[in-house]
Amino acid sequence: MVLRKTLEKSMENSNIAIQNNVTETFIEVDHYQLCKHNQHSPGDVFLSEKNPADGRTITTLSDGLGSGIKADVLATLTATMATKFIAADIPAKRTAEIIMNTLPVCKDRGISYATFTTVDIEPDATVHILEYDNPPYLLVRNNTSVEPVKEDTEFERKNKKTAPRVKTVLHYSNYEARPGDRLIFFSDGVSQSGMGTPLYPFGWGIENAYSFILDRIKANENISARELAHDVVQEANIHDSCVPKDDISCGVVYFRNPRDTLILTGPPFDQKNDAELAEIFKRFNGKKVIAGGTTANIMARELNAPITVCLDHLDANVPPYSKMEGADLVCEGILTLGVVSEILEQGVMPAKENAATRLVDVLRNSDRVYFVVGTKINEAHQDPKMPEGLEIRRNIVKKIVSLLQEKYLKEVHVSYI
Amino acid sequence: MEKITVTICTGTACFVMGASELMLLPEKIPADLKDKVDFSACMCMEECHVDSKKIPPFVKINGALMEKANVPDVIEKLYSLVGQER
Repeated sequence: MVLRKTLEKSMENSNIAIQNNVTETFIEVDHYQLCKHNQHSPGDVFLSEKNPADGRTITTLSDGLGSGIKADVLATLTATMATKFIAADIPAKRTAEIIMNTLPVCKDRGISYATFTTVDIEPDATVHILEYDNPPYLLVRNNTSVEPVKEDTEFERKNKKTAPRVKTVLHYSNYEARPGDRLIFFSDGVSQSGMGTPLYPFGWGIENAYSFILDRIKANENISARELAHDVVQEANIHDSCVPKDDISCGVVYFRNPRDTLILTGPPFDQKNDAELAEIFKRFNGKKVIAGGTTANIMARELNAPITVCLDHLDANVPPYSKMEGADLVCEGILTLGVVSEILEQGVMPAKENAATRLVDVLRNSDRVYFVVGTKINEAHQDPKMPEGLEIRRNIVKKIVSLLQEKYLKEVHVSYI
Repeated sequence: MEKITVTICTGTACFVMGASELMLLPEKIPADLKDKVDFSACMCMEECHVDSKKIPPFVKINGALMEKANVPDVIEKLYSLVGQER
């Protein structure tokens, strides 16, 4: 009883009604990028953060001049400065001045060494956007593009000798976001894709990119930020015949209905709570995952739902996943969660599908994740004959939670039973 | 003659101690046994508690538990069962 009340309270606090008739908005921020062909480091850098103290979400895209490690370093420097200064409430103009005077300017081309677009979202849904030298962002509301009103400020570097020869302009805009709004921003690797090809001699172009985005949204009204960013980059990649001529990056901010996921892992410490765990599982509104053989057996018994192990994507490192009625995914516990943690950390999905990649997919396509961790210890895992490295469940869950919150900007709640 | 049922446990302890290879049994089984056996897997047979003193990986052949299971031992057991039937 106690745990269910605690879980329901935390769901209330994040404003979800179990009956699901409350429309609440979640800010889904995601991005996708491809490195320029033969480079090991992307010269475009994304930096996103959600500040729990003031409830702001800030995401920045910076495009470093050129490609490879040098561009990566410059873009990282720029993105970090932009994000941290905006988060510290340093005025936009001052932020831009500091960045502009810090960044070197290319002697030959007369342009600054890195661009940036910073999107700053306040808890009351006011959005501030600062752009410097990136293609302009697209704002989509109700399947149409909305023309933002921008304030332009021209800049001069302190040291005029090293100032860029072309005009340096900072664009500032703001607006009140509404549920359903999307903000899409990308580097010139997107708009200049296909340059020199018969189809797009001058590159795909910003307007064509905008049309593509609007078409994708029209075709799938609920397309996630993750999927849309991926589609834009892949389309640009196709224009470059899948050999990217530049780093291709796209970020999307989507004010959406949150997608909830429940993950049960570990049997309850006290067997008497098995029934309560099953109740939580049954009543949850959203995707449901069971990570753990013993946990799954308990659910199967309590809910009278048989488990079938699927032997179609066998993997040497990850036990097979299973199907159970009422669950979206059933898999083994600790080993699988360990691999999930690695994949989330690297940020790249391995080619071969297995239980871990499926779980990562569920997590990446969720907005709010609720972990219910059983604290009964499996003595077999403590047996000294077993190989080392079978991390305690709590630790691996903590690691996944922190990755989901800090790297993927998800909302995560953990309860123990 | 009814098919022999072979169930492989794919729980954490079993997987680490060798179930990942046992799962290849459907492919590794000799041709003359292939149509006599029904393979399936289960998530956790819960035989791995330290006080039970049984050693994973576990396989159940026609309901009988085999501990420290490996591919050659399972195939040998299957042959002996088929031999008994004749």
